[in-house]
Amino acid sequence: MQTIELNQVRKSYDKFVAVNDLSFNIPQGAVFGLLGPNGAGKTSTIRMMIGITVPDSGNISLFGKPFERKSLHKVGYLPEERGLYKKMKILDQLIFLGELHGLSSSVARQKALEWTKRLEIDAWLQKKVEELSKGMQQKIQFIAALLHDPDFIIMDEPFFGLDPVNATLLKDVMLDLKKQGKTILFSTHRMDQVEKLCDAICLINKGTAVLQGDLKSIKSGYGKSNVQIEYEGNGDFLNKSPLVSACNNYGNYAEIKLAPGADAQTLLREAAASARINRFELMEPSLEEIFINTVGKTNA
Amino acid sequence: MHNILIIAKREYLERVRSRSFVIMTFLIPALMFGVSVVPTLLMNRGTGETKHMVVVTADRDTGELIRSRIEQRQDEEKSGSDADTTGDKKRSLPPTHFAVEISTDTSDANHTALTQQVKDKKLDGFLWAPPDAIASRKLAFVTNDTSSFIENGVLGASVSDALRRSALKSKGLKLDEIEAALQPVEVDPQSPLGKDAPNPQIMFFATFGMVMVLYMTVLLYGINVMRSILEEKTSRIMEVMLSTASAKEMMAGKILGVGAVGLTQVGIWALTAGILSAGTLVATAGMLKNVLSIKLLVFFGIYFLLGYILYSALCAAIGSMVNSEQEAQQLQFVVMMPLILSIIVIVNIFQHPSSSMAFWGSIFPFTAPLVMFTRIAMQTPPAWQIGLSIGLMIVTIYVLVWLCGRIYRVGILMYGKKPNLPEIMKWIKYA
Repeated sequence: MQTIELNQVRKSYDKFVAVNDLSFNIPQGAVFGLLGPNGAGKTSTIRMMIGITVPDSGNISLFGKPFERKSLHKVGYLPEERGLYKKMKILDQLIFLGELHGLSSSVARQKALEWTKRLEIDAWLQKKVEELSKGMQQKIQFIAALLHDPDFIIMDEPFFGLDPVNATLLKDVMLDLKKQGKTILFSTHRMDQVEKLCDAICLINKGTAVLQGDLKSIKSGYGKSNVQIEYEGNGDFLNKSPLVSACNNYGNYAEIKLAPGADAQTLLREAAASARINRFELMEPSLEEIFINTVGKTNA
Repeated sequence: MHNILIIAKREYLERVRSRSFVIMTFLIPALMFGVSVVPTLLMNRGTGETKHMVVVTADRDTGELIRSRIEQRQDEEKSGSDADTTGDKKRSLPPTHFAVEISTDTSDANHTALTQQVKDKKLDGFLWAPPDAIASRKLAFVTNDTSSFIENGVLGASVSDALRRSALKSKGLKLDEIEAALQPVEVDPQSPLGKDAPNPQIMFFATFGMVMVLYMTVLLYGINVMRSILEEKTSRIMEVMLSTASAKEMMAGKILGVGAVGLTQVGIWALTAGILSAGTLVATAGMLKNVLSIKLLVFFGIYFLLGYILYSALCAAIGSMVNSEQEAQQLQFVVMMPLILSIIVIVNIFQHPSSSMAFWGSIFPFTAPLVMFTRIAMQTPPAWQIGLSIGLMIVTIYVLVWLCGRIYRVGILMYGKKPNLPEIMKWIKYA
């Protein structure tokens, strides 16, 4: 079953077309990346998915049915613009948001206790939001989106402003949710952060999808033209070789983009001739590269 | 509906628990007391001292007459205030006593001399009443206390009284004839309903009291609704809430929640006031019973609640349009104007209860709560008019909530930008 289907969805504000006949669908249990540069229309798309705005044309179906507000009780949303009631105590706030999502107050309280324990923030339950650090507020917001055990989780820039420890904590939770069969949508312009999590992506630019589909097949379509080398000794050969079109050299580790038509094996022989090679690995291009490549092309 | 209640509950609890609510509950009555009672006390203050004054007239007779009137008036004032304010200590401060001297020297030199004495505070004042001044009916009272107008008013009344008597006396009337001619006549308005009709004065005050309660509540708490919606915009939480509740539900919840806070506070005040003045209330209960029928109280409840919700919704609409407190304050006149208009119409209705102004004022939703209530208290209008005004108010409330839900939803999604009127119109159209 498709968790959500967008069909030729369009939204414009005045003359500015924010989302231009966008179509994609996310199957149940998938982790989906909605990617694009700033101002591409990601947030506008999400707002239509959860009924904050209504599309000018096209249609959206949620959980296999045409959009209805009732379905929103099964959706968890972490907006890009984070916000909580500053003067309200954490526990009260979570119970309130849980109730709005259809939980009874006692269930909401119990879930809030479970989640705060899991995210190691339970000591702060009786504090007001304004007393918390930014990172802690992020966690509370995260809990607020997950409290009612939604089947479909939408996260707009989820890792924004998190330190590595908390980012890992959050990533583990997401992986766990994926295991439980939840559908997850990430929206971000930071590709590196979601690359390892996503099954499928839709890359949008200026409101139009420029690249979409299964992440593996997209990557394999680009071929393996990247090489990572760990070496000891003289790395000058990297700069001289006609086989290398671009190179990031960190001293004894380098990331290399092969020139068109170049053979990686030839490069390996050249490298071995001038330095001691500890590792030599052929890589798929990173999502970021694909992104820059694709968006760069459409902008040009 | 469920969402509205959850949102209203949160608003209510968070506010009632807050420190500022507790402070306001005590502070406002103290402030009201300060603003209304203290100045009255100050104005009514009699210092108990004796003020020396000189009355300058051409003939001693007129001077004596003025003196006797001033002294007599003082005695009346004293006994009068003793009689009707037993137990009310604020009023029973001793009044100022005038010691009056008479001078028949109307020369300019005497005027200058007396002025100098007043300047030097050797004399508290003098009344300059030469024949030409009396003829022009305008006397000068030179004093340092030009601002203590209650005293000066008493003085003025005494002097005119004295001069009237003096004029009649000069026409050869006897003293008892003068007294009889000057006896005031009382006109007592009587309703054709006879004894069952409410005392018009008490009715006036009861109605006006209720009108003021409504006016103050709207003023105090409507503004709170506006502020609470502004707060929401700055807290940025609404995007999470909008993902489950509709903008209309949010608005309705806020209006109800913040509104209930206002009712709670007014309730606390009313209860306290009721307990404190229980004795007086029992004493006046008999009089009030004629005016405050159950019917009137029910209508007060209906019009108070509807008016309150209507104005709160209007404030909500303003709150949803603006981005900052300053902008909101600029638009507060939109709320104030119909309230002030209502008061003007009501004053008119007391004079002409069945004018067409009264009719339209009681139908127009924004003036209806105050105006229609006044009309009901004065003489019950036809049922269809009452029904129409209630119906129109409910429709207006619904439209306002719907409207500001729309403005709010689009407005919050375009933060930072100050909208102008055409833009707001466009927001309303955006789905």
